[in-house]
Amino acid sequence: MEKNWDIIIVGGGPAGLAAAIYCGRSLRKTLVLEKQVFGGQIVSADIIENYPGFAEPIVPAELMDQMSKQALRYGVVLENDEVSGVHYENNSWRVDVYNNYFTAKAIIFAAGSTHRFFNVRGEKELLGRGISVCATCDAPFFLNREVAVLGGGDTALAEALHLAKFASVVHVIHRRDQLRAEKILQDRVFKNAKIKLLWDMEVLGFKGDQKLEAIELKNKKTGAVEVMAFAGAFLAIGTVPNTELIKDLVDLDANGYVVTDISLSTQARGLFVAGEVIKGNRRQVSISVGMGVQAALNCEEYLVSLE
Amino acid sequence: MTMAEIVSANDGNFDSFMNSVKTIIVDFWAPTCMPCKLMEPGLEKIAANYPENVKVLKVNVNENPLTSSRFFVRTLPTLLFIKNGLVKTQLIGAVNPGQIEKTLSEVQ
Repeated sequence: MEKNWDIIIVGGGPAGLAAAIYCGRSLRKTLVLEKQVFGGQIVSADIIENYPGFAEPIVPAELMDQMSKQALRYGVVLENDEVSGVHYENNSWRVDVYNNYFTAKAIIFAAGSTHRFFNVRGEKELLGRGISVCATCDAPFFLNREVAVLGGGDTALAEALHLAKFASVVHVIHRRDQLRAEKILQDRVFKNAKIKLLWDMEVLGFKGDQKLEAIELKNKKTGAVEVMAFAGAFLAIGTVPNTELIKDLVDLDANGYVVTDISLSTQARGLFVAGEVIKGNRRQVSISVGMGVQAALNCEEYLVSLE
Repeated sequence: MTMAEIVSANDGNFDSFMNSVKTIIVDFWAPTCMPCKLMEPGLEKIAANYPENVKVLKVNVNENPLTSSRFFVRTLPTLLFIKNGLVKTQLIGAVNPGQIEKTLSEVQ
């Protein structure tokens, strides 16, 4: 496989693929490296209803498949590999992968984010044994069972609405006394007879032998601790940015997000960022797509300046 | 040599594969699981690349609840690695072909 590239894009989610389309159309030799599946986390979602340009709901996996094909059409190479290092040496960027490396004149870092966990007892042991991060993947396991969704944002409510098609009761358990999700999702949840809301709850731990049996909760207002039985628990409490690989190259805020501006450039010359690694990103496919485009155009301007 | 393909297994015939001398990779999936669909081309490549040593099975969890509960599968995608009738390890969530091959080399 070709070793030297004009641009290497780290991450094949919405930001990375949108950037790839523009890099390809600039006739740059472009490689996209994705450690899991092309399309990113959004492919696990049931539907997207707010991506501009589509009057009807769309299937995220189909949208992302079209983006991949669009990038391939312009000569971009999509490769499944996990990046283990990003360095600048000998006037070029070096990207390490398992048993190999590539070089590039510029990098667009769009590695996205991963699910946030509570880091409480029982969570790690029961992940995949009743604790899940993907309702569309795992809802059928909980047919006519009682499940919990932990979180109060868009993802949590979308997961709850999907689960309500399968489970007997869905409890949305939130640490605050109000939701931050889109109002249209809140309205649907409040109107769904199978969904109940539990406010001001802190998760203390998960219990179960071989599979999840209960969640230990503490009411933040009364201090009362309660163990509630659930067959499934779906975590939707946000994400953490995948910026470990560039933490010594760029400015990160206290939560690990890259601090940048509309240029999407960084202190490291030739290293651009896009998508959910950036501070202030509101986790929407349309925003990540726009950022990918912006990063690609600015990256192209940078490459022209080198010539 | 013929190219090995992924074989669909079910609650009725699963045991007939368990004592194979080959390493078995069991791909638990469901039609609604999009990451499962996206992983399929990678698994097809692995089935084709290791025809002598590896058999790749796929089990639809919606149609085969006994096999899923027998192995405590509660999340998709789940890949089980079985050798000589014993579960050696599992991978949970969407993984790339490189990660599957790395796990395979550790199991074999």
